Amino acid sequence: MLTYVIRRLLLMVPTMLGITAVVFFVMALSPGGVAGTQLSAEGELDTQQMAALRAYYNARYGLDQPLIHQYGRWLNQISPLGWRQALDDQGLPQYTGFGFKVPDLGNSFSRNRPVLDLYGEALPVTLLLNAITVPIVWVIAVLSGVYAARFRGKWFDVATGTGLLALWSIPVIWAGVLLIGFLANEQWLRLFPTGGLNSTMAGGMAFMPSFAEDGTWQRGWLLDRLWHLVLPVVCLVYGSFAVLSKLMRASVLETISAEYVRTARAKGVPGKRVLWGHAFRNALLPLITVAAGIIPGLLGGSLIVEKIFSIDGMGKLTLDAIFARDRDLVLAGALISGVITLVCILIADLCYAIADPRVSYD
Amino acid sequence: MTDSTRSEQASPPSEANGALVGRAERVALHETMPRRPRSYLGGVALRTLGRTGAAIGGVWLGLVAALAVFAPLIASSFPLVMKSADGTLSSPWLEYLRPMDVALPVLVGLALVLIFGFRCTSVGKKLLVFAVATGVVVGGSYLLVSPPAIATYDTYRVGLEAGDIEWAVHTPIAFSPSDRLRDRPKSQPAPPSWTHPLGTTRNNADLASRMIHACRIALAVGFIATGIAVVIGVAVGGLMGYFSRAVDLLGMRLVEIFEAIPQLYLLLTFVAFFPRNQYTLYFIMVIIGLVSWTGYARFTRAEFLKLRQQDFVVATKALGLPLRSTLFKHMLPNGVAPVLVTASFGIASAILAEAFLSFIGLGLVDEPSWGQLLSQAVGGGGTFVWWIAIFPGLAIFLTVFAYNLIGESLRDAIDPHTQKASQA
Amino acid sequence: MTDTHSERATAAATVSDSAGGGASGTATQPLLRIEHLRVSFPSASPGGRRVQAADGVSMTVFPKQTLAVVGESGSGKSVSALSCLQLIPMPPGRQDEGKILWKEDGAVEPVDLTAFSERDMRRIRGNQIAMIFQEPMTSLNPVYTVGDQIREAILLHRDVTQEQATEIAVQALKDVGIADPYARLKSYPHQASGGMRQRFMIAMALACEPRLLLADEPTTALDVTIQAQILELLRHLQREKDMAVMLITHDLGVVAENADVVAVMFAGRVIEVTDVATLFADPLHPYTRGLLASMPVLGRKQGRLPGVMDGATIPDDLPDGYTVKPHDPMLNPPGGYGGPNAKLHEVRENHWLLCEREGDTPDTPGAVPALAFTRG
Repeated sequence: MLTYVIRRLLLMVPTMLGITAVVFFVMALSPGGVAGTQLSAEGELDTQQMAALRAYYNARYGLDQPLIHQYGRWLNQISPLGWRQALDDQGLPQYTGFGFKVPDLGNSFSRNRPVLDLYGEALPVTLLLNAITVPIVWVIAVLSGVYAARFRGKWFDVATGTGLLALWSIPVIWAGVLLIGFLANEQWLRLFPTGGLNSTMAGGMAFMPSFAEDGTWQRGWLLDRLWHLVLPVVCLVYGSFAVLSKLMRASVLETISAEYVRTARAKGVPGKRVLWGHAFRNALLPLITVAAGIIPGLLGGSLIVEKIFSIDGMGKLTLDAIFARDRDLVLAGALISGVITLVCILIADLCYAIADPRVSYD
Repeated sequence: MTDSTRSEQASPPSEANGALVGRAERVALHETMPRRPRSYLGGVALRTLGRTGAAIGGVWLGLVAALAVFAPLIASSFPLVMKSADGTLSSPWLEYLRPMDVALPVLVGLALVLIFGFRCTSVGKKLLVFAVATGVVVGGSYLLVSPPAIATYDTYRVGLEAGDIEWAVHTPIAFSPSDRLRDRPKSQPAPPSWTHPLGTTRNNADLASRMIHACRIALAVGFIATGIAVVIGVAVGGLMGYFSRAVDLLGMRLVEIFEAIPQLYLLLTFVAFFPRNQYTLYFIMVIIGLVSWTGYARFTRAEFLKLRQQDFVVATKALGLPLRSTLFKHMLPNGVAPVLVTASFGIASAILAEAFLSFIGLGLVDEPSWGQLLSQAVGGGGTFVWWIAIFPGLAIFLTVFAYNLIGESLRDAIDPHTQKASQA
Repeated sequence: MTDTHSERATAAATVSDSAGGGASGTATQPLLRIEHLRVSFPSASPGGRRVQAADGVSMTVFPKQTLAVVGESGSGKSVSALSCLQLIPMPPGRQDEGKILWKEDGAVEPVDLTAFSERDMRRIRGNQIAMIFQEPMTSLNPVYTVGDQIREAILLHRDVTQEQATEIAVQALKDVGIADPYARLKSYPHQASGGMRQRFMIAMALACEPRLLLADEPTTALDVTIQAQILELLRHLQREKDMAVMLITHDLGVVAENADVVAVMFAGRVIEVTDVATLFADPLHPYTRGLLASMPVLGRKQGRLPGVMDGATIPDDLPDGYTVKPHDPMLNPPGGYGGPNAKLHEVRENHWLLCEREGDTPDTPGAVPALAFTRG
């Protein structure tokens, strides 16, 4: 098992190289280059200052070097094994020697902060959104899929099939706009906040709901957070059932007519237990792999939702970085989402081996 | 009746030695004989259309397509016919037609004639004729049709009010998509009314007109982006499955790379780093195609690899036939239907992708697009205009839903498991 | 093989009061009695007529008896057996008519299983009537250990603790001749060979000591040597546990070795029922005759084996008024023998045959064959 995991982890390296290379070269080949926005944003500077700034960027990030060289520099920077560099008193990097070092995701052009710090703040937000979304999606998809298979061809099957397909077809941008427009707007209903994850005064709230000394009710930090999460989570959740539910249904249909299910019935196992203990237990196996496959979709989905509800998560950070052509930030975004996806796929494969006694990686 | 009796005459077992070597399942033998010989794809098409969902989806897409083709005839600021005060009859509408406005109806007419007119000609020939005709018509229309470079939409309304124009016949919606109603006082977006059936946008343009003209982009993006994805995917997947080994290993890494980053990240990176100009639409189509080919590649590869293992392929190899002929002769026809399923879901997601790009302002600049219209619904300061939110969103939703419904029906139609299930 | 037949034909047979359905003494009361069972499935093509998988099937199993149901694929053998446990998926399947009478332990009057609710049925399944299937590879749930699956059956029907259930399971595994049963309990089905898995299946089926075992082609998927072992095991267990077996097979060799009474099925109908010796020595139905004629005989040099239809001769010594029609492929159900008037009749003592009787209409019920014969 361990050798298998190590082998898989090593196989991730070329994939990650590919991912970052694709993103890097797309950015580098675009007209204006990576620092384009940054340079034009400093429009007030006179020519001399401009030239100095450009010289600094070139020296700092090697922007005047060939692309492959720039990419090599970036790889060296993020690699745990490579040439150490230190900034000299002018803020320019100097190589000090070869060996193990702390990987460095670089610095954000546009925010002038370490990329790692920025993602360190943004990643938990996105993970929180998905941590709430994924269980809801799974519970509803599994229930609807299993019962759709159980009542194949009946109204429940047809209704969930069409209904979930319709939900899946609703563009998230539309749902977001409608929810904000009708439920979070003074013109109609002001039930929910328009965006963000907390009210501005949330910092001063108690964690749990409580009554203040003067007897007024305070909703507290936790409830405030949940209140802000309702609409984004709705947006993330509603469209994700269809695919999983459909797969679940197909998988259960496959197992429900399997011979071991007939054997179980012939033993006198009650119907519910046949369905959940025998048919569903086996039907779940192919879905373990699928579970990891939807991770990129969820990350993409939270990008849209974070944008619409102005939540400062990883998606919004990446989006802002793309708009600002912030090279290191964009590359780190691709790197992190790639690693998350690949690790999830690996975990799913390991779970599969645990769930299916026929599979072993030894 | 004659068919079923023929199937019943299938000979009873004649080689029962000791054990009864059962003949084919009686049920299967009796019932699977089709009434009329029908091609595989023909059967798939019939079963698909037989489903209500697909039928409804088809009707909606037909409507969108008709609106796309005849958009200028439905919504235009230019009078179809008008009589000036000096007595001359003229048609500004004709004058302002753009090359595409002319080419599209001609091509659609030709396509309909080819599909329904010549039943005996082969599909290949028809496609060839259509491809050549497309080149000729598009090229010709760009050469022959040259509308004025600058369109002043309000001239005719002003002229009519001032009495310079005696009378004018307008299209049902008398506003062009880019007509910002400069002759009227700048106001808040107007709610739906008789003059503006779906209201106006924040730029004072007629919402219905913009939406009708946006049908073209929605349909074109879906088809062209998915077409590109299918071509790349089938080619890469075919290469992987055909050569296997090293090519397969490399190809799968490539597929993995494209699948490990959320498609949207990749799409945004591609689009955001290139400038927006009049080619942005085509650029977006190509990019959506470039980031969404992996599914088709995986599928084609799996199919090829599966086929390679089959006994009859091994047998043809033993006979000295090249693998290529077997794979392409047997694989491609059988693989078409499943690719169509994936493609119709692909079209749906391509439309969604374009809508999102336009929504966040990375899409088209001035051309109308549903996503771009939708983005105007919530304006600065939190003002919300319900008709700009409802109608374009509904259009995207219905189109995506239509494609998904068709894809779903197609999948059920080709899936032997559901077929068996519905019959068992 | 022919020798053993004649030997058995003369063997002392405990034949008693058969035709009437037995009222004299508990020994002859049937355990299971299927009466005119009709089960149909919808046609594969839309609008087609329903396919009659079992078309008036009648048969009887007596305690400790082995009834062999023999016929080709699709002749309705499995459907009849599955119906006994209500294991036909409904819909699409449908039971059109018929009764399945089951004599529960200690009960005087038999109960009709077709009228049982799903809940009542669970009391019967695995407990009083157990079933084993053709494919031991796919009939065991791949994600549970063998022990879990055997214990599940025991815990469902016996009021025992987990530990007791394990002990019963171990005993069941020992009974089916599995060495090191404790270790085997913890293994998964995929870790065992085909013959071993069929032993697991049998252990699971017999763990609750059922009165009747429905064995649906239990050896078809196995190697010839393993087949013999499994059949031997079944015979042994049947004797030990005083159990009746309905043995579904298409292998006439298996029939000759194991059966007491044979019911031959074709196209959803039982066409001939008699004891095993009579069937091999003096078959009446043309199909049975063709079938037996097509069997190769060991030691005799033969050219091309005759097909079933080649040896399908019409018997000329039936009682007056009874006729058997030759095979008619135009009939519905397709390829059947005799029209709607053909019913099972006891044309000789303890020998039932699907034939037409003068003056019968399609509504005339056929006889329900009942033969309490067991080999000595």
